[in-house]
Amino acid sequence: MVRKKLLAIAAAVTAVILSATQLSAAGIQLDVKKHVLANGMRILVLENHSAPVFSTVVRFNVGAVDERPGITGTSHLLEHMRFKGSKVIGTTNYDAEVPILAQIDSVAHLMKAEQVRLQSPLNSQDSTLYKQYRQQIADLQAQEKKYIIKDEIWRIYLQNGAAGFNASTGNDGTQYIVSLPSNRLELWAFMESDRLQNLVLREFYSERDVVMEERRMSYENSPRGALGEAAAAATYWSTPYNWPVVGWMSDLQNVQREDVEQYYKEHYSVSNAVAVIVGDVKADEVFALCEKYFGPIAAEPLPRPVVTRDARQRGERRIDVEFDASPMGSILWHTPQIGHPDIPALDVASSILSDGRTSRFFKNIRQTRIGQASAGVDAFNRYPGTFNVDIQPFGDHTLQEVEDSVYAEIERMKTTKVSQWEIDKVINQGDAALVRSLDNNMGLAYRLANSETLTGNWRYFVDYQDALKKVTPDDVMRVCNTYLTRENRTVVSLVKPYAQETAQTPGKAN
Amino acid sequence: MKLFTILFALGLAASIASVTLAADAGVSQGSIMIQKYTTTPVDLHIPTVGAEVERVTLDNGLVLFLYEDHRIPMLNAQALIRCGSIYDPEEKNGLSGLTGTVMRSGGTKNISADSLNNLLEFIGGSIEVGIGVESGTATLSVLSKDTDLGIRLLADVLRNPAFPQDKLDLAKTEIKNGIRRRNDNLGMVGGRSFRSVIYGSHPYGRVLEWSTVKGITVQDLADCHSRFFAPNNIMIAVSGDFAKEDLLARVKQYFGDWAKSEIQFPPAPLVARKFNPGVFQVHKETNQTNVNIGLLGVKEDNPDKPAIDVMNYILGGGAFASRLTSRVRSDEGLSYSVRSAFDTGSKDYGTFSAGCQTKSITTYKAVGIMMDEIAKMEKSGASDQEVTDARDALVNRFAFNFDSAAKIVRSLMSLEYDGFPSDYYSRYLEALRKVSPADVKTVAQKYLKTKDMSIVVVGNPKAFEKPLTQFGKITDIELTAPDLK
Repeated sequence: MVRKKLLAIAAAVTAVILSATQLSAAGIQLDVKKHVLANGMRILVLENHSAPVFSTVVRFNVGAVDERPGITGTSHLLEHMRFKGSKVIGTTNYDAEVPILAQIDSVAHLMKAEQVRLQSPLNSQDSTLYKQYRQQIADLQAQEKKYIIKDEIWRIYLQNGAAGFNASTGNDGTQYIVSLPSNRLELWAFMESDRLQNLVLREFYSERDVVMEERRMSYENSPRGALGEAAAAATYWSTPYNWPVVGWMSDLQNVQREDVEQYYKEHYSVSNAVAVIVGDVKADEVFALCEKYFGPIAAEPLPRPVVTRDARQRGERRIDVEFDASPMGSILWHTPQIGHPDIPALDVASSILSDGRTSRFFKNIRQTRIGQASAGVDAFNRYPGTFNVDIQPFGDHTLQEVEDSVYAEIERMKTTKVSQWEIDKVINQGDAALVRSLDNNMGLAYRLANSETLTGNWRYFVDYQDALKKVTPDDVMRVCNTYLTRENRTVVSLVKPYAQETAQTPGKAN
Repeated sequence: MKLFTILFALGLAASIASVTLAADAGVSQGSIMIQKYTTTPVDLHIPTVGAEVERVTLDNGLVLFLYEDHRIPMLNAQALIRCGSIYDPEEKNGLSGLTGTVMRSGGTKNISADSLNNLLEFIGGSIEVGIGVESGTATLSVLSKDTDLGIRLLADVLRNPAFPQDKLDLAKTEIKNGIRRRNDNLGMVGGRSFRSVIYGSHPYGRVLEWSTVKGITVQDLADCHSRFFAPNNIMIAVSGDFAKEDLLARVKQYFGDWAKSEIQFPPAPLVARKFNPGVFQVHKETNQTNVNIGLLGVKEDNPDKPAIDVMNYILGGGAFASRLTSRVRSDEGLSYSVRSAFDTGSKDYGTFSAGCQTKSITTYKAVGIMMDEIAKMEKSGASDQEVTDARDALVNRFAFNFDSAAKIVRSLMSLEYDGFPSDYYSRYLEALRKVSPADVKTVAQKYLKTKDMSIVVVGNPKAFEKPLTQFGKITDIELTAPDLK
């Protein structure tokens, strides 16, 4: 139901997809204990002693939405940099690195100026100087290397039995995750507090190259990624959900170590963090350790909230994205943000349309072999998001046919009330999903961190279920009529390169 | 490790002193500070049949693995069926996959697909069936209050699938859609091309084509089902909130009258132990190159597995603690994802592969570094410290294989399915703890023969900074549009 595009530090782990759940009906108590440090950091603990392991999420309330043109992609790049060590991890001699880092920064200034100069055709296009600076930075990084202990944070965690050590960045938040054997709790507290207060942005320019490769892989060479990037840019004219989490390529090419350091200072205050620990731990011990390790870290002012919002959309937008792949598309309608009373009804509408084999899209689009369609709504978005439907045609059917079929189903939602059975089904599925999630420490930790960061209330995802339960067939009809309108939608289609299309016999496309 | 022990005592002294010491000794201050949190051994308990898990055989041969866990009101079951696409006739490649899909999507002789879907989805439950290369699985997940309904429906789906024509048509359409889109994603083309180069026409490398799928009939599905689905060919792992006697009674009620039958397994084609060295260039207009380097590896029962796991962890399996990631990604910034793996999940020879994806203009460089690292491992193995680190990592995270009831019971069932002894995990762990640098070198020399390796790249060779001729004879492969007629 709730879909988020997340980018992770390591490719092996896929993003956890959160789905809405019902708690009270299942009669399950979540005995979450919360402790707030004097510096504002929030700690949540849920004990589960069924196996000698625990899972942790440290989530910072910072994501791509907090960036600005020129430094897009910085939240994610910074996430990568938080695996490069600190003043005491990943180095044999931090003091010796300091002057080298300063030199790197001063050359980077010159390099950036050259890059900016080269961007204008008014200036000479001689790139000799730029290449010299680039080489100087490489040479300085090579000098620094003698002090660097490569990827030591990984080695320490992995040797101690870490599973799923990773991190991910989204539009709204950045989360750092790891699961460990239960007697490694203090190690976790040390490591996480260390990279919060002693972070060193070393090996920055090679990591920036890695992120550019990630961008090429996940956006430029992936039809789904290329479509998603265009969809966001076309939908959000003003809200900074406009750019991809990975950032625009030109920004990645220009962003400097100092920009990222500045961004870090502004957004990684201890008071902007929530730590969640679920598993074989004792809450009191966790709190005491957090007091010891995170307690001494001084709070800094919280970053400014994002105030820019999209104005009401005035008319359908249609965008093509050329890509050498079979057709697919996305349809997006603007919706309100988390906490708005219409969100639960939109969520129920999305589930009725597309969750499972009994959903309307499945029965009337997939089973009729026209194509497939899946809906989602940004129910847990910090700022206003979208109700969105991804589509693809089967066989000789066209994207337009699938799009039309989606509109036909939405039209039916607007004119005929959904059945109470369909609503009850959605609620029951939420109940079961919650019960199932209790068996997964990391999944629960994610939900708790998400709720706490976005709303200040870890129970929010539980309370949200009560709101889902109150949704009536009338509500569903009303929100479909309010939001799922032609003037409020953006349609993005992945199409074969135009030149390829015209080269083929008309009517025999694909 | 010795170095750590010596410094440990000093590290407890003033931290200023340890900075200097750390710098002198070539270790970080942090590595000294963490010593005090990492001395207690990690708790490793390996569950076994007869202790946590009970094994029961019904009169008709159906084997059950049961694990009661009353913390959460759920019931989970997973059935393993001995079957798979390895047995598909060549001209009907895709038959097993379709059979699995339509067993679930088509409903049963007793309940229509729509009613089955309504029943399951309304209670937030699920039943899914899938048939892979060497096994079939059916999973059930329901709230424990729905145990009776769940077991009854699972039995019905396994025993009495209806195979209606319209659901076969839908499943075929979905396969055709997948075939149509199979060249759209660089990584997918890379994985598929690599397997083709390594396995040739063997089913492990076979590519699903519309020509073999389109003619498959509902009768074929019914035949495939009746050939392999019999109680004596099925094991079921059940975990969750149930009482054993009650659960057994229900299983007997719904499965008990299913008669045993003799399964005639068609001969599974064997993987020929041969290599296909050289460079294979699959042409695709992209700005990155997908790289896979490797060769035929080992079978799942290979006794060298603990040493292979340690060796591969050091080479490219241990994420950032591995050599390939460290050099290709971290040092050179050439790729976001770099890895190596011995795929040991199959009866016959699996593969060794090392892969990455890099921009076109650094293809030669990335391939060169990867070949270098593999050759270095083949020639010299690994250091004491690397082996110790890898062993610690692999041993200490072992507990995560058994951190839920479902994982425990399924792991133990898989052992029996694969024909391993029931104490396999403890033996493996014991062997893992003893892996020495000499063992690592031995398996590296045995299984990483660089001269036999195939290098499969997908991308635009015209945009490479240098041709790949240095790495072997080049074979160009044109990526053709799939035949969908």
